[in-house]
Formats: sequence, structure tokens, C-alpha cells
Amino acid sequence: MYIPKNLNDALEYLDRHAPDAIPLAGGTDLLIQIREGKIRPKVLVDLSGLKSELAYVKKVNGNIVIGALTTPNDLAKTFLHKDPKYLGFLDVYKRFASPILRSLATIGGNIGVAVSASDYLTLLLTLNAKVKLVSVEGERTVPLEELVVEKRTLAKDPNELIREIIFPELPENYSTAFMKLDRREIIITGYVTVATCLQLKDGKITDVRIAFDRVNKRIPGRARKTEEFLKGKEFSLEVIRQAYNEVLPTEMVRKSDFRASGEYRMDLSKVLMKRVLLKAKSRIEGGA
Amino acid sequence: MEEYPDIEITLNVNGKDYTVKVKPYERLIDVLRYKLGFTSVKEGCGRGECGTCAVIMDGELVASCMVLAVQARGKKILTLEGLAPPGKLHAIQKALLDTFAMQCGFCFPGVIMAMKHLLDKNPNPTEEEIKEALSGNLCRCGSYLRFIKAAKLAAEYIRKGQVYFEFKG
Amino acid sequence: MALPTAEYVKIVEELFEKVRKFTYVGKHMQRWDAIEKILGKARFTADYANLYKNLAYVYSVRTKYAHARIRKIDVSEAEKVPGVLRVITHKDIPGVNDVGYVIPDQPLLAYNKVRYIGDIIALIVAEDPYVAEEAAEKVYVDYEPLPVILDPLEIVDPVTLEEKKHVLIHDERESDVVARYRIRTGDVKKGFEQAEVIVENEYKTPYVEHAYMEPEAALAIPEPDGGITVIASTQCPYEARRAIAKVLAMPFNKIRVAVPPLGGGFGGKEDVANEIGTKAALAALLTGRPAIAVHKREESVIGHSKRHPAIMWYKHGATRDGKLVAVEARIILDTGAYASLGPFVAWRATVHSVGPYKVPNAKVDTVAVYTNGIYAGAFRGFGNPQIHFAVEQQMDLLAEELGMDPVEFRLKNILRNGDRTVHGQLLDHGVGLEEALIKAAKAADWYRKRAEYAKQTGTIRKGIGVALLWHGNSIGAEGADYSAVSIIINRDGSITFRTGLIDMGQGAIQGLIMLAAEVLGVPPEYFRVEMPDTASVPDAGPTVASRSTAMGGNATLVAAYKLRKKLNEVAADLLKCDPDDIEIRGPEVYCRSNPTKKIRWMDLVEECFWRGVSLQEYGYYRAPKAKWEDETGHGEPYFTYTFGAIIAEVTVDMETGKTYVERMVTAYDIGRVVNRVGAELHAEGGAIQGLGYALMEELVHSPEGKVWNPNLYAYYMPTILDIPKEIIPVFVEAGYIRGPFGAKGLGEPSINGIAPAIANAIANAVGVRIKSLPITPEKVYLELKRKGLIKL
Repeated sequence: MYIPKNLNDALEYLDRHAPDAIPLAGGTDLLIQIREGKIRPKVLVDLSGLKSELAYVKKVNGNIVIGALTTPNDLAKTFLHKDPKYLGFLDVYKRFASPILRSLATIGGNIGVAVSASDYLTLLLTLNAKVKLVSVEGERTVPLEELVVEKRTLAKDPNELIREIIFPELPENYSTAFMKLDRREIIITGYVTVATCLQLKDGKITDVRIAFDRVNKRIPGRARKTEEFLKGKEFSLEVIRQAYNEVLPTEMVRKSDFRASGEYRMDLSKVLMKRVLLKAKSRIEGGA
Repeated sequence: MEEYPDIEITLNVNGKDYTVKVKPYERLIDVLRYKLGFTSVKEGCGRGECGTCAVIMDGELVASCMVLAVQARGKKILTLEGLAPPGKLHAIQKALLDTFAMQCGFCFPGVIMAMKHLLDKNPNPTEEEIKEALSGNLCRCGSYLRFIKAAKLAAEYIRKGQVYFEFKG
Repeated sequence: MALPTAEYVKIVEELFEKVRKFTYVGKHMQRWDAIEKILGKARFTADYANLYKNLAYVYSVRTKYAHARIRKIDVSEAEKVPGVLRVITHKDIPGVNDVGYVIPDQPLLAYNKVRYIGDIIALIVAEDPYVAEEAAEKVYVDYEPLPVILDPLEIVDPVTLEEKKHVLIHDERESDVVARYRIRTGDVKKGFEQAEVIVENEYKTPYVEHAYMEPEAALAIPEPDGGITVIASTQCPYEARRAIAKVLAMPFNKIRVAVPPLGGGFGGKEDVANEIGTKAALAALLTGRPAIAVHKREESVIGHSKRHPAIMWYKHGATRDGKLVAVEARIILDTGAYASLGPFVAWRATVHSVGPYKVPNAKVDTVAVYTNGIYAGAFRGFGNPQIHFAVEQQMDLLAEELGMDPVEFRLKNILRNGDRTVHGQLLDHGVGLEEALIKAAKAADWYRKRAEYAKQTGTIRKGIGVALLWHGNSIGAEGADYSAVSIIINRDGSITFRTGLIDMGQGAIQGLIMLAAEVLGVPPEYFRVEMPDTASVPDAGPTVASRSTAMGGNATLVAAYKLRKKLNEVAADLLKCDPDDIEIRGPEVYCRSNPTKKIRWMDLVEECFWRGVSLQEYGYYRAPKAKWEDETGHGEPYFTYTFGAIIAEVTVDMETGKTYVERMVTAYDIGRVVNRVGAELHAEGGAIQGLGYALMEELVHSPEGKVWNPNLYAYYMPTILDIPKEIIPVFVEAGYIRGPFGAKGLGEPSINGIAPAIANAIANAVGVRIKSLPITPEKVYLELKRKGLIKL
């Protein structure tokens, strides 16, 4: 176990010792990977003491910036859970793991794990988020979609740490929403999860971004063809129905596993897409 | 098996400081249960999925089986043993008795911690809020409906200023 | 051939007849152990680790394959790991390498074969649990993998139930059929000819996990005289002792099993303690150190018994006026790799297979078979949740065909006082099913809601469904059915209560204390319950089969009755009145005819001491012997039955297929309510467990015989967010003369009827019937889609 004094200390240690040394944030995934024998790190670099440097939610130059060590409970104390534009974060929170893990898990960790059940990742994709990585060599910022390549695979070096997540503040008439459905209500992976960021002006869809737990890879992704179809059209159930019946199946592939069949997941994706868009719409119009 | 050096940490549990030597892979639950003797903290799954190990750490409800001991250094921990002074019951404990919620009792310490955490932050919770707060605590015996009643009753006791109760036996 | 009625039976019957107002029985009382549990001081098995220095830790090395021959086991590398005290294999077993509960088919440590993914190759005993786990990787096994069979239909033919050719799992038994039972009543062929409506379907239920919050644990301490004390999380201390003694080749009196409170059992801790208790005991014996074995959750899931998956074919026939004329059924139970309680589960399922109805013609065949799945054994309901899921949907389908209301149809066919069961057993009293059903229908507002829900539109639909159940109390023909307690009134008036019945949360012991308190006339607070301990408490039989209140209760009454008689004699002498006139209302004792002259309880007890009147009594009760003819399934399988009626209300979201249970009315005829709190908690808890069984729970094997969901994240049991808004218990007291004040059991009946009531409610809501559990959103949605009832 290495306990760094500050971020630079952590970065230097990682530079010298990665990949034998692995960074430990909340540990809610890493500890389970170790328990299941899937990872055997020689050294863990405990980042939990660096919260003062790496846990924050700020507005900077028209962007919202979230520090990598921010936990869901940290987010819950900010405007992100109150401002109707960002209530997608509240939706994710309510179905995220369970209350006993929400002060341990981190947003950076959720992205770093990169599986289809990484709900914050799914939401952030709809916010066109970027990720700032940092190492002894300096910083670089990459779009989230480019960083997360496949299941548990990131395009980053072992000596790089996720430092913060950045996305543009949402202008007027925008809102976000997220939904997850499974056999029970909590401590679930979700048969399907879907997030949206929607803008409506005079009943027209002026901007829409939709991300699912899986589109055609084993990680969350955007349903871009469906988004394109919807953009510029009237927000109506008929339009949405056309979008999910005619366009979504052309870009989404749903597989079967021991939990559910591909057919059900495909149909449920349609239903939840409709519902999440309706939810975002009602937030834009003043509900919540 | 590789030799890992001991790390010395100090943590505050139920109001008292303890200094212990831990291995890097040891968890907070191991320290609480086996090094410090706070066996009210239970290990139901070891993966943060059941809630039986829940404690309050620096004011947050956490799964002690998912916190490495080293990560708990310098923190203030509350377990069930520290909830009420000796010879007294906390309003939450009294309410759970009054609603006859007790069955096997294994999930109770975690449930009580979750209720304490809730009521500290929200003295007048709705039924929805109670359920959300307890949603990480599994109870196989099925006392859930009683937990909801007990949380409301405990909130009422506390609002009336009755935080601690005497008991016999 | 009438034997003279035993004294203990007379005592129980006499107390039943003397119906009176109760001081404690039927009231809401706090459990005897509530305070220590609420303070977090209650010591569960794993908590004992802190009390012993020098503990050795036992880790089980499990097989890589679900089915394989073992050519060689090499532990030499593991033994060399620093910190390892001993590595134990089958070669080190002093006695017989078997921990089977009913059939000796289950090795503790694998020697020539492994049959499921939880089989144990070796035990690592080490100074440190982490060292033990690391050393496990150095155990090398030469396996010869065999085909993994997970489908019982590869073992027997679905129609003939004859065994098929396959690579045997239990080659040493030369057959993979474990048990067969049948019922033959009347003539089903003629019955179906008379039938004007026939309904035939296949139903399936999966492997289900107990998911009690406390994983199994055992701590063994070597004693100076060569004996071993084992502290274990077990429902059957005497059975665990038997198993440990067998493996260690020691006499029973040298093995002591003591049982702390269990963090839940539900049947799952009936036979696994044979294994974990023996592992710890072996380690203690061979190292001379106290040894502890604690299962991790994943180990618990793959390493202890499960609920038997069932494949059930039912054919029901009825006449137009709504009378059942014939029932035919074939039931296949998958008992997994080892028999465990399988033979008994299959028998109970057979006994109850036609439901609590008058059935003039019946043909039932049940078979239990081995597969390479996790072994299946006891789980609350013991075969009944499975068959009720099938039978109660069949009854609803018949009602539909006949155009009758499901409650009305059932009322035409249920068993009542004076009826005979399908086994020919006369139930001359104690059948409270009709009252339970009528009260449930009233509490649920059944008729009005059925009418209202028939007129729904839209894609969110409500539904209401009913299911009846029955459950024979105690172990029936499984074996000698007896129970025992000791009550000791100490010289200062405090009372010690001892019994081999354990507490797993069900609170039956509270009922026993209340019964004793009622008979003695003193408050329950005077009692202290000692830990179940084979060294010092009477063998009360296992804590299973919903028998604790009925059997333990009777034993308690007998002991208390005998004590009361002695106390009455002495008090009568002191107070100068008749012994029958003595009233004890602790702490006061007086004559009813002269209440002003009082003595104190303490003084009465002290006087007994001086007179040499022993205030220690042993209460023993043996149930009437069950009668069962193997050829026909006729006789008297259980001495009495608990009956129940469940009404569930649901909302179904047709677009997602998801079902939300809004409300449940759970009405039970339990003869007499003794521990009212316990009864209510059973009704609620059983409803929630049943909801999980109905809608979300299944343990899934991969084709290699591993488990996809061996943890509480991927195995879905209900959370607090999944429960109905209300669960309304209703109790009916159609007392059974040989129950304690007429009481019957509720531990298992409280789950039997939940899943079919929910299934019937879903069918009422959306018009599709799902015949396999769990009724997942996917199954409902795809069925609606197939029938054109939902279009996106």
C-alpha cells in the first residue's frame, strides 16, 4: 500500500511502479475484482486522502467540472441535484449501487471501470463530457467517448490518472434524465439503462443526445442515428415511436445472457427511451 | 505468500482513539470486529451488497467491508455499540422494539446505523425517504414494513426530545 | 390396534379442552432475546472467534469441475506454505467420509469423484485466513472431466419417469434416481371421462437460494478428554453431532454441539452444518487447536443446499357444476449432486400434490433425481411452494373454463371438517380453510375488485388473485417425531428453560415460554432460555418442518403441567384449600375461593425445596405415528395440517412486463395463536420471501455447472423498495386437539401460497399466465407481445 502525500506524489509513484501499482479510489469495483481473483496488484496507491485536491464540483468558463474523487453523495449536495437541467444526476443517484456505497464510489472510478452498468458514464456521454488525464508528463484532455474504448478498456497509460470530468453548462430549455429497469428496484445491473440530454423549443426537438448501457459495444454508447432522426422534429409520441421502431434497431444490437434475452432488451430499450424523453420533457416544461 | 509490512493507523471508534497495526489488504470490518472487538458489525457478504456491515464514518454511511483499514485512518467511526450510553436504548432501538420488528437480528446493526444516518440528516422523513435510506440493507426474515414504522416512530421520539430510554435486563 | 393413550397425550388434550381466557397465549410479547440483539451484543457463531486465542482457520479448496473423476490430489506444495498447519484430504478422515442427511451419498472430502461445483477437495488449516486462502492455490488435482448434466430430463423420461441411459453421477449407487412416490385414489381414467372441463399444463420452478444474512460458520474446540466442542450455525444440533461423530469415529457423548442464535436458516442450515461443523472439528482434532470455518457468501451460495427445481405436469378435470373429479400429476424434482433432504421433500410434495381439496380420483407420480447442479435440500415449504404454484394456477384455469369466480370455485371443493383427504385421511376437526378463505376475501374486498378490474383499459393494469394452501405439520412419516424440553424452577424462583430447538429468528421459543408461563401462572420474564447444547438439553428433534410450536409446545405443556401439579399440591397444603383451587399469578399465589390469603411465588418455591419436591421436569411429547402406504399413498401422512388463503393485488406495467405487488392478505388457520408477534412476522416475512420467489429469484448454472450469480448483487432477493404497501395477516383458530391449546405451525405455510396468488393476480390483470418461476418482466412482456396484447 502506498499512501501519497499529494497528487504529484501519487503521479510520481505511479510513473515509477505502474502497472505493478494500481490506483485505489473508492474501491467499490477494485476490491471486488481482487476478491474474485481477477486482479492481483502488488501495490495499491491509496488516493482516498487526496479528496481535497480531487473532489469538487465547479463552474469554470461555461463548463461544469467534476473532480475524479467526487462521490455520488458529494454530488447530491450540489446544484446538480436541484437544477432541473441536471436532474439526470439525481436519477442516476437514486439507482446507483446502494446507499452504503455512495460515499465510497467515485465518478472517476465509475468511468475508469467502464462497464455497461457504469451509470454516470452513460449520463456523461449525453453531456458530451471530456476527461482530463494527468501524469508526470503533464495533462491531456480527451472526449469521454474516445477514452472508453471497450469493456474495462481505456485509452490511457498505466501512469495516468483521471483528474476531472468536464462538460459544457446546459443552456436554456435543456434537461437530462436517466432510467434503469430490472426485476427489483435497487442493487441491480439493469436489463437496460438509458440517459438523455434534451432541448425543446416550441415543441420541437432542437437537440437530443441518447446513451444506452450498450448500443453495439459492451460499454455505454450514444445512439447517434436515432438522435439524428429526432433532431428538428416535433416532440410527439408518434415521432418517438418511429425513431425507436425504425431507426434504433439499425444501430443497436442486443445480446442474450443468463439475465435476459436480446429481444426483450431491444424492446425494453424502446420503451425506456420513450419514457426518459418524456421525463426530460416534463422537466423542461416545469415539472420534475 | 508475500510478506506485507504492517502499517500503523489511528482511528476513532465510538468516541475513543485506537492505534492498530494493519496489513494493506485488511478491511475496516476486520479491524472493527477482530482487532477492536466490535462484533455488532456483521459480515453478510464481504462485497458491500447486503448492508450488514454498515457503519457511520465521518458522518457518512459506509460498508465497512469495502473500506480498506488504511483508508479509515484518522476517521471517526460509529458502530451500534456506540449509539447509546451503557444502560440506555437509543430512540431507534426503542422504536424497533415497540414495533416488534426483531426476528433473527443479524441485519439490525446495519439497519440501525442506516436509520441513525437518515435521522441525523432528516429529522422528519417521509415513507419514501425512509425506504430509500434503507434500500441498501437486506433483511431476509422480512421485517421491512416494521422498519418503516420504526423509523417514523423513532423520528417522533427524537422530535419530542426523547433520544434515550432506560431499560431493564 | 389401539394402544393405551400416553400420559403426555392426555395432558395435551386436557389442556385443549379447558378453553379459558389466556393471560399470555395469543398476546403481543417482546422476544426473550430482543434486548441483547437490539444492543448488538447477541453473539452469532462467527462472533465467537474473539473469545478464543490461538485460532486456526479452515479454508475449503473446492473443485474446478462440476463433474469429474479424480486421478490424483497433490497437497505437498500447499503444506509447505509458511503459516499452514495442516492440509486435510480424505485420507486423513478417521471415520466414515460421509455427511449425507438421509442417504449416505455425500463425501465430506472428495476422493474419487466430484459431482458439483461446491465439492471439497481439501481443507487448508492455517494461522491466518488469508494465508489459508493463498495456500489453496497450491493444491494440484488431476481431474478427468465428465459430461455435466443439469437437466433432469436427461436423467428420466418426462412421461414414463423411467431412468434414461446417461453417464451416471452416482455410479456407486448404480442409478441416479433417488426416490419415487405415488398416490393412487379411485380411478382417474373414469374420472376424466366424467369431466366436462379438462385443463393440462406444464409448470417449472428454478433453483432458489436461502440468502440468509448470516453465512454458515462453525468453531471447534478440542477438549482435554479428547472430545470436541463445536459451536455451529445449525438447525439440527443432534443431527450435526451424529454427522461429526461419524466422520471423526467418536462416540456421540464426546462430541458436543452448541448453537448460538442463527442469522436466518429457512431450512438452509439443516444439513450444511454436517459439513461445516465436521470441517472445523476435523481441523481441531488434527491440529489440537481451536479451529474456525466461516463461509464467504459466494461459498455459502455454491456450498449449501438449495430449493429443489421442479418440472410438474398437471391434468385437472371438473364437471360443469364446479366439482373436481380427477387430478393427474407427474412431478420431477432435481435434487442436484447429493440427496440431502431430497427424499423427504419429494414425499411432502407428493402428499400435498393435489392441494387442500376433495379429490375423488387421483394419480400422482413423483421422482427425485440427481444432476450436477448444487445439491437441493430443505427450504421453507419443502416441496410445497413448487406444487402449490402449479395446483393453484390449475384451479384458476378450471374456474376460467367454467366461467366461475375463483373463490366460489374453490369453496365448492375445499376440505372441511368431516372430509377425507386424497389419502383417505379423515379430518374430523381443525379444518379452518373455509373461514380463512372467506375472511381473506372480505379483507381484500375481493368481489368488488374483481368486477372493477374486469373493465380496465390502458397499459397499466391492476389484478387480484387468490391461492389456497395446506401444510402438514412436523415431519410426518419421515421418522420418529418427538420433542422434549426441560424446565427447571430454581430455588430463588427464577426459571431455566432448556430445549434442543434452536432460534433462527422465527421466535418459536418465545411461544414455548409463553405456553409454560401460561400453565405455571408466572410472567415470561421469569424464564431464561439456555443455549441449545447437546451436552445439556434434551434432544427435541430438528428445528424444521414448522414443528417447533406444535411439538416443542406440547413438550413444554407436559413439563409445565407436571410442575404445576406439584406446586399446586404444596400451595394447597400451605393455604389450606384444594389443589385445583390454587391460582398462581406470579409473584402471588392464592386460593380462588379465598384470594385475600396470599403467599409469594418465591416462598412457595423455597418451601418445595425444603420438602424435597423436585421442581425440575422433563417434558416429552411424541406425535401419533404417521401412516403411509407406499403403493397407494394412502394413510395419515401428517397428524394435522395448517391451512391458508392468500389474496394478492398487483399492478402490471404492460410495456415493460414488470409486476408490482400492491397488497397481500394472508389468512392462516394456525389452530391457536400463541406468539402473536411471531405469527404476524411470519405472515409478513413469508409474504416477502414468497414475493421474491414469485418475481425475481433464481440461481442459474452455467453449462459447465458453475453458478452465474453466487452473490447478493446478481441473485435478486427483495429489498425494502420491492415490498407491497401492506401485508395484512388474518388468523383463524380452528384448533387441533393435540396441538398446544390447539396450535399448529406457520414457519413454512407462510410461503406456500404467495407465488401462485401473485401469478393468478397477474393473469387477472393482463390476461397472460406464466407457468414458470420467476415471473420476470421479460416473461410477461414477451407473452403479451406474442398474444398481440401489447404493441410498441
